[in-house]
Formats: sequence, structure tokens, C-alpha cells
Amino acid sequence: QQIAFGGLQQDPTAPVEVTADSLAVDQATGLATFSGNVLIGQGEMRMSAAQVVVVYGTTSEEIERLEASGGVTLATPSDAAEADSASYTIASGEVTLTGNVLVTQGANTIAAERMVIDLTAGTGRMDGRVKTTFTPSGAQ
Amino acid sequence: MAVFDNRHSRAVAYAKVILPLAALAMLATLFLFDRAPGTADSIPYARVDVETLAREQRLGNPTYGTVTEDGTAITFRANAVRPEAGESDVVNAARMTARFETPDGATLDLTADEGVIDGRARIAELGGSVDIVTSTGYRMTTDRIAAELDRSTVETTGAVQGSGPAGTLEAGRMILTQDASSGQYLLVFNAGVKLVYVPQK
Repeated sequence: QQIAFGGLQQDPTAPVEVTADSLAVDQATGLATFSGNVLIGQGEMRMSAAQVVVVYGTTSEEIERLEASGGVTLATPSDAAEADSASYTIASGEVTLTGNVLVTQGANTIAAERMVIDLTAGTGRMDGRVKTTFTPSGAQ
Repeated sequence: MAVFDNRHSRAVAYAKVILPLAALAMLATLFLFDRAPGTADSIPYARVDVETLAREQRLGNPTYGTVTEDGTAITFRANAVRPEAGESDVVNAARMTARFETPDGATLDLTADEGVIDGRARIAELGGSVDIVTSTGYRMTTDRIAAELDRSTVETTGAVQGSGPAGTLEAGRMILTQDASSGQYLLVFNAGVKLVYVPQK
């Protein structure tokens, strides 16, 4: 199911800022893992997670993906999404949420197994047992 | 003495007496006149402060190597090393470098303005502005860093700033330790980490 998400034209080349309690780098392989209140910020998008692993691209100067896990919340100015884990590919500006995805847009909530958000286009596609609950605007 | 009628022979006869006497007199006084002192040039020597050199024990360009229990090879190099006054086992070094080669092949290099190696407490401390370079592409600077000589633990005492393979990085503290469970060597930045990565166009 295709929905509008985020309402923003995210610039994939905006600086990505990652803050966390700690970062552990494996000296042998160079694998970098942020852990403890990890917050990824780019433009107006904020993604928080318990743990984020940095996946480098072809050269180690370039980060290809950020693999977040341990309960992820993605917030943009207008919408928010929660899931068990997420993978954010920086170059394409695409976030793939997997596991108990829950999207809240205003008063409506949509649940699914998996969701792919394109931050640059501001759209989201959800699949896997999508369940939408509308609360009519009148009912309090 | 025979008498000569002509002047020439008389002159020669006088000369035969006077000239040897004059020679004898000159010869006798030859050793009485000494020469003026210090006419030879003085011995050239360096103007090094001899007193400090004599008082201080000093080692030029020393190297100190050790291996920790878990097999990390540590080598220290310095420009000059002086023992701490009154402490036999403590050594002060100027412009010191340290290289840590962990068994997994990774290296961590430190260069600092000054350092202290405490043999008894088995700790080395580097101060001044410390540059940290790791084989995993991290180049950081900090004020002071301490390294244990028995176990491979290198820890900064304060904040550390610099750049990682991708983006600039700053953290409250940095510590290189061996993860007890997995045995891996981890470079851990904690007490708040911030990485800023600017994607290439």
C-alpha cells in the first residue's frame, strides 16, 4: 500500500550526524558499532535506535548503509514510524523498516510487517498484513 | 803570544781569541731568555654546558619495547630520556612515540610532546598534545593518554577529537581494550560520541 510519508524532499547529500553513548570499532575488521541511545539526524529526519552498525561502501571513506536495530523510531516533521529494525541507505535516501512496523499520521495509525520509505520522494510503501485504523475526525 | 809586524796578522790573532769567547757567551745565555707564553693556538672544544651533562644522566634516542600478557607488542621511542629524580624506575621522555601492535595485526600509533614510563607501576603516560593514528583509519588528538604495559589497555583521560574513516568524530573518552568474551581488540569511544558524515556528491 502506497502512502505519502514525511512530507519532505530530503536531500540525500545533507550531512548525516550520528550521536550515541559509545562507539566500538573492531580493530581487526574496522567494523563500527554505535550503541546506547543512538540518534541519526539528517535534515529534518531523526532516527533513534538502540544500536546502529555502520556499513562502509566500496572505499572506507563512504558510508553505504546504517543498520539500526533494537527498536527503531523514525520521525519526520509530520509523521513517525516505529519498527524493530531499520536499514538506511544514505545515497538513495531509502529507509527499510522491518518487524512490527507502526506508522502514525495525525490520528491514523497503520501497522504492517515491512515498510520502505523513500525520503527524497517523501513516499512510503508498506506490505505484509497491512492494517489501517482510521479515527473519524469527529469522534473524540 | 808571537808578535807580528803587520796589522793583518795582529787582527787575525785577536779575532782568534775574541770570536770563540763571544760564541761561548751567546751559547751560555741562550737558555736564559724564555719565550712569551701562549703563543700556540688554544685547543678547540665545544661550548656544551658541561655541568648539566655531568650532573644528569641522559639517554639519546632510546627505544623501549615490551609485550603485554595478551601478546600486544609495545615499542616506545623518544628523543631524550632522563630518569626521574629519586625514583629509580620512573623515566621522563621528551617527544615520545609509542606503537601498539595487537595480535590481530592492527596498530595504534601515539606521538606526544612528553611522556613518563613508570616501570614499577607498569604504566606509561603521554602528555602534551597527543596524536593518535590507528590502522582502522582513525586520526584523533587528545591531551593526555595512559597505557598499561602489562595488559593492552590504552585510555585517554579526557576528550578526543579527530576524524574516522568517514567523517569527523569527537568523543568524551577513548579506550583501546581487548573484549574479554570475544578476545577482539576494540577501540571504544564513550562518554558521548558524535560523528558527522558528509556524503560525497
